[in-house]
Amino acid sequence: MKIVVCMKQVVDLAQLRFKSDGRTPVLEGLPMILSAFEKHALEEAVRIKEAQADVHVIALSAGSTKLKETIKEALAIGADEAALVIDPAIKDTDVSGSSRLLAGAIEAIGEVDLVLTGEGSDDEYSGQIPSRVAARLGWPQITTVRELALAGEKRLRAVRDMENSLEVVECDLPAVVSVTSELNTPRLPPLTAILKAGRKPTQEWTLTELGINADEIGGKAIQIEVLSNLAPEQERKNEMLEGTLEEQIDALLRALEHEGVLA
Amino acid sequence: MEFRLTSEQEIFRRTLREWCEANLEPIAAEIDSKEQGIPDKIIKGLADLGVMGITIPEEYGGSMIPGQEITLANVAVQEIARADLSMSVPVYVLLNIGWGYLVTLHGSEELKKLVLPKVASGEGFVGIATTEAGGGSDVANVATTARLEDGKLIINGEKSYISGIRETTEQRDGGHLTLFRTDPDAGHRGFTFAYIPSRSEGISTTVYEDVGRGGLSTGGFRYKDVVIPESYVLGEINRGFYVNMEGFNAARILVAAACVGATEKALELSIEYVKQRTAFGRPLAKFEGISFEIAEDKSRFDQIQMWLRYTAWMADQFYSEPGSFTHNDLSHAVSICKLEAPHLALETVKHSMMYHGAFAFTKECPLELAYRGVLSYVVGAEGGTNIQKLIIARETIGPEAIPYR
Repeated sequence: MKIVVCMKQVVDLAQLRFKSDGRTPVLEGLPMILSAFEKHALEEAVRIKEAQADVHVIALSAGSTKLKETIKEALAIGADEAALVIDPAIKDTDVSGSSRLLAGAIEAIGEVDLVLTGEGSDDEYSGQIPSRVAARLGWPQITTVRELALAGEKRLRAVRDMENSLEVVECDLPAVVSVTSELNTPRLPPLTAILKAGRKPTQEWTLTELGINADEIGGKAIQIEVLSNLAPEQERKNEMLEGTLEEQIDALLRALEHEGVLA
Repeated sequence: MEFRLTSEQEIFRRTLREWCEANLEPIAAEIDSKEQGIPDKIIKGLADLGVMGITIPEEYGGSMIPGQEITLANVAVQEIARADLSMSVPVYVLLNIGWGYLVTLHGSEELKKLVLPKVASGEGFVGIATTEAGGGSDVANVATTARLEDGKLIINGEKSYISGIRETTEQRDGGHLTLFRTDPDAGHRGFTFAYIPSRSEGISTTVYEDVGRGGLSTGGFRYKDVVIPESYVLGEINRGFYVNMEGFNAARILVAAACVGATEKALELSIEYVKQRTAFGRPLAKFEGISFEIAEDKSRFDQIQMWLRYTAWMADQFYSEPGSFTHNDLSHAVSICKLEAPHLALETVKHSMMYHGAFAFTKECPLELAYRGVLSYVVGAEGGTNIQKLIIARETIGPEAIPYR
C-alpha cells in the first residue's frame, strides 16, 4: 500500500512579527517549518504503516529549495521517502496551481492508494487543497476526518467531524482524505531519527519534469487575489470596575452576563 | 563559515522546545518545591527523544553523532533550561551528558557497559564528586585517598557539595566520577579519577538544604573502606587530575548553556511584560531605563550564545579532528563561557524581576526560582568565577600569571 501525505512548508508563525502598525506581518527571514495540521496526516500514515505490512509512506511537498531541509522532519517522524516539486515559479501560485502540481506529482509517483492531507494549512487555511486534488485525480474524497480505518483490502471507513454531529462514511481506494487535529497526537522524532532523515530517498521534480508549464500555475493562471493579509484589530473595552470588592464582583458578574459569557 | 545550526540541529531544537513547553514548563515550579526529585516521566521523555544519550555511542544505547555531540548537547541543555528556570532538570541532564561523555571517552569497556546504557535510558545517573570541605577550586587540597590491592581500589575520605545524592541512593541508580589521591607525594600526578557506585558498601551520605534548584539533591559522601574494581578508573592510575579537568571543559560548556537558556526565557518574560504593563499612562517598554537595559542584556545574550556555540563546535572539533585545537585553546574558550553566562543569567533574571515589581517577590512569579537556581553557578559549581579568570589570564598572559607556582 502506498500512502502519500501532502505537507505544506510554511513560515514559523510562532516567530511572526508585525510592522509598527501592529497588523502587517513581516514574512521575510522567517524560518520555514512543516504546517502542523499535516503532521496529524503524517502521524496517521505512520500508524497505518506500523500496524500492517507493506505500507510505504511518501511525504509530498512543493516549494523552494529550502524544502529539502524542511522535509527532513517528516522523514524523521517516519515517512519512508520524500517527493518534492521544487521550482522558483511555485512561490507565486495559488490553491488552483498547487493542486495542479500536487496531483501531477501523485500521478508521477504512481500506484498511490491513499492521499492524506491536513484539513487546512497553518498559514492560509483555505482547506481547498484536498478537494481540488481529488477532483483533478478523479478520486473520491473524505474531508474533516477524525477517525480513520481500513475496511478491507481497498476500502476505507472514516468518521467525519461535522461540528454538531459525526458522520460515518466509506469509500473505495484510491481516495483523498483530509484530517482534523482530533485524529491523533503527532509524535516527536527522536534525535537519531532526525540525524538519519537525510539518508532516506528523495525524488525531486521541476515543473517541466512533471509536464507543467510555469504559466499554468502562475501569472495569469492565478485565480485568487489576496486583497488584505492583516492581523485582526483587537478592540478592548477597558472597563474599570470601581467600588468595594463586593461591588466590583457584582459589576464583573453583570458585565460577564451582559457579554453572554455567563448565562 | 556557517553561523547557524544545521537543519537537523534546528529540527531537534524545535522538537525539544515543543516537548519542554508541553511537559516540563508547566511543572517546573512543582519540581523545584518538592524533595521527591524529578518525575520519571520527565527523564523518560527526554531519554526517548535521545537527550540523555546525546554523548553516548549507539552501541551503548545512546544517540551520539560523533563530531556533533557537544553542539547538540549545548542546544538541548539550553532548551531544557528555558523551560525549567529552577535549573533542576537542566543540571540533572547536563551532569549526566557531561560526565557520561567522559565515561564514553575514557572508561574501560566494563565501565561503559555498566554506566552508559542506564544513563541513556534515564534509569541511571552519573555525576561528579571532586569537591571536598577543605577545597573546591583548589583541587590540590583533595584529601580523599585510595590504595590499590589485588586489582581493587580501597577508598577513604569525604566529598562535599555533590549533586545527585538521593538520585543515586534512593530515586534511581548510579554513582559519581570521583577524584582521590593514590600517590600522596606526587602532587597533580598522584590523583586517580574513578566511578564509585553510590550504593557501594562503606558509603554514608548527608543531604544539604539548598537555596534553590530544589529538584536535584546536593550533599556529601563519606567513604569508609569502599572497594571498587580497578576497571572503574577513567584513564590511568595517577593520571586522574587531567581526565577530571578534561571533563570540566564539557561540563562548563553545558553549565553556560543552562545559563543562556535561563537568560533567553528571562528576556522573553521581560519583553512580554513591559509591553503590556502600563505605568503613568504608557507601557513600561516606553521608558528607556527599562528598554535600554533590555537592549544591553539582549546584546550580551547574543554575544554569549554565539561564543558558546563556537566553543561547543570547537569541543566537537577537538574530539573528532585531533590536533585541530589544543586542550589549552578549548579551556580558554570554555572559561569565557563559564565566566560570562552565569552572571548574565543572574543579572537578566534580576532585571526581569525589577520590571515585574512586587509580583516578582512572590512564588507565583516564575522568576524567583530562576534567581535561586542560577545563583549556584555564580557562587561556584563547576569552577568559580575567579577560576575562569585565572584560566583566561593564564592562556592570555602566560605562565607568569599563574599564582600558585
